[in-house]
Amino acid sequence: MECCNKRRMMKESPESNFMNRRGSSCFPDEVLERVIGMLKSRKDRSSVSLVCKEWYNAERWSRRNVFIGNCYSVSPEILTRRFPNIRSVTLKGKPRFSDFNLVPANWGADIHFWLVVFAEKYPFLEELRLKRMTVSDESLKFLARSFPNFKAISLQNCDGFSTDGLAAIAADCKNLTELDIQENVIDDKNDNWLTCFPESFTSLEVLNFSILHNDVNFDALEKLVTRCKSLKTLKLNKSITLEQLQRLLFRAPQLCELGTGSFSQELTTQQYSELESAFSNCKNLNTLSGLWVVTPQYLPVLYPACANLTFLNFSYAPLDSDDIAKLLVHCANIRRLWVVDTIEDKGLEAVGTHCPLLEELRVFPADPFAEGDARGVTDSGFIAVSQGCRNLHYVLYFCRHMTNAAVATVVQNCPDFTHFRLCIMNPGQPDYRTSEPMDEAFGAVVKTCSKLQRLAISGLLTDLTFEYIGKYAKNLETLSVAFAGSSDWGMQCVLEGCPKLRKLEIRDCPFGNAALLSGLEKYESMRSLWMSDCKVTMNGCRLLAKEMPRLNVEVIKEDGSDDSQAERVYVYRSVAGPRRDAPPFVLTL
Amino acid sequence: MEEMVMATLDLITASPHSSSSSSSSPTTDNNNNHPSSSSSSSSSSLCLSSISTRRTDLSTDLRLGLSLSPSHYSTPSREQRSSFDWPPVKSTLRCTLVEKSQISQFVKVYMEGIPIGRKLNLLAHHNYHALVKALANMFRTTILCPDSHQLPLISGNNVHVLTYEDQEGDWMMVGDVPWEMFLTSVKKLKITRADRC
Repeated sequence: MECCNKRRMMKESPESNFMNRRGSSCFPDEVLERVIGMLKSRKDRSSVSLVCKEWYNAERWSRRNVFIGNCYSVSPEILTRRFPNIRSVTLKGKPRFSDFNLVPANWGADIHFWLVVFAEKYPFLEELRLKRMTVSDESLKFLARSFPNFKAISLQNCDGFSTDGLAAIAADCKNLTELDIQENVIDDKNDNWLTCFPESFTSLEVLNFSILHNDVNFDALEKLVTRCKSLKTLKLNKSITLEQLQRLLFRAPQLCELGTGSFSQELTTQQYSELESAFSNCKNLNTLSGLWVVTPQYLPVLYPACANLTFLNFSYAPLDSDDIAKLLVHCANIRRLWVVDTIEDKGLEAVGTHCPLLEELRVFPADPFAEGDARGVTDSGFIAVSQGCRNLHYVLYFCRHMTNAAVATVVQNCPDFTHFRLCIMNPGQPDYRTSEPMDEAFGAVVKTCSKLQRLAISGLLTDLTFEYIGKYAKNLETLSVAFAGSSDWGMQCVLEGCPKLRKLEIRDCPFGNAALLSGLEKYESMRSLWMSDCKVTMNGCRLLAKEMPRLNVEVIKEDGSDDSQAERVYVYRSVAGPRRDAPPFVLTL
Repeated sequence: MEEMVMATLDLITASPHSSSSSSSSPTTDNNNNHPSSSSSSSSSSLCLSSISTRRTDLSTDLRLGLSLSPSHYSTPSREQRSSFDWPPVKSTLRCTLVEKSQISQFVKVYMEGIPIGRKLNLLAHHNYHALVKALANMFRTTILCPDSHQLPLISGNNVHVLTYEDQEGDWMMVGDVPWEMFLTSVKKLKITRADRC
């Protein structure tokens, strides 16, 4: 800072030269770049780039990683112009509600054009992390050919590719350390993509193919695991049997993160004890997931490895309360736990009892559409966890009904929530004891949890919930709303009251044009707004687009729908202007 | 389908909203969100689930892809959208849990007039309604629900019914037998034009 002040005092003219600056004992650019280069945090780098031109330049030259939360907010040309030396790119594409089929296929977010520009401007690209993007096999093949230093690819919730694309990556990325395919819609064609890794290839550290349905070539897998001595993360798919798992663990006892295959196979006593000793040899295991198809009798083989576990992802393993309780006795160090609601309240009590260090809990529904007396977890399980796990700060909880009092108790026990996502699965479900709306529950959350960054609300909710949110949730960045609110006033409260709001996603709420337009000033400070099946009209959207030219206001039109209604609206700030690749059903206003 | 939908709306809005909305601001559209007891029994005759408990009324509506805001009842495309958009569980997770027994039952599905078929895992769905909705979305058409009685049909060629080939090689209408029995006898599915049946 000092060097800049000095410069200002000397009334530096535009022609002043480098020598002059050196004379004033400012940092030379190389040093400045070196220092700023050490900054890792995106927020810090953003702040630094605003200080003065020299710092802006030092920052842009020294930046190696870039995160783009909305791929349409900037173009690859603009990106590569500002940051010439990027090695790692993270890109997010479709709006989050595309996970729940609210965004039609072929909406966009195709990576290909980005790759073409990167091939020219970032030939030394090493890492690509994509979420909710469309990635074709051609793109993957192009990537494998174009970047000789390529090391890590992570694809989450992406679609459009098949195992052919994976084969290309395996074959051509000689320096690959990470191949992480999570939750994608992938066409599982050939089971031989694993054989495409050359015999000489040994650099792999992360391999995650858990989402693939078909068998993989186990022989190739075993050989790969054997020769990749640095392998730390291995997440298998359900085709891998317990016997095969044992063989892999034998080869890779150094693993830190393991996703098992199917956890159910007829094992002989010999095989069982071999599996057990394989697990006890994995001294570094901190994350366990997978357990597709669990035979609970085999869970004890995990016990030796449980003591060091910090993350247990059982979201695909519908265990009952007894099984989970017996396992959790051994898991005192758990920080993050993802389970299915088949464990019921009794299982959650076990969580509260045995996992005092728990920070994050996610409870998924086994049967979201069940009718009648479906079981699952309730308010008492929620309270039980909060009583035993005072460090809880992240919760995602699916239940069929809840009470205001329970939520109030939970946040009283755990006031440090940063992420509170409650999904009462019946829309418009009131407090089942008092029959009142669930306003007071979320009121308690926002009043008590001052650090709250992310909130998802559900149940019968009036505008009062939104008044509370606008008044108290001063650190809120992401809000998800469904089937809630009474009038435009609700949405207005949030838009006017939450200074740090970045992402607002709304569906099936009675918010119309007045609500939409009340955020006129706000949307440029946010990443995006999604509104579907609300009461917004095309005219409202046109007005917004007219008043705020730097926003992209997009409407997704459905066939045969009323022309004046805007069923699905996606509003986001962008320096790249309107989309050039919008399909016919996306109207940019 | 449209009139059936409108009729459902009438039932829901006609019933007095439950006394639970004692608090605060007038809840106008929220009335539609109230599972009202009087609508539940009659709704069963309109191709909704036969289990007519208060709570399940809405989840049934949602499974049929019906929005709860009245203005959207008239858009057929809203119904065609898959039932899998609520609750917000990712489809990969949902289908995996359903497949947890590691048994899948993939059958071929053809739509009349389209030579290339699709494949669908029947066990990823719990009942006829879920199956019909998934297929309606997959093929982007209106498929009449199997256990509806007399329906005012939309005229035109965009309405189909679902048929299946059973173990004896006969082509039958889907929906006559219990779901579990259907699973044991179905070999293939075909989506045929409604006016052909």
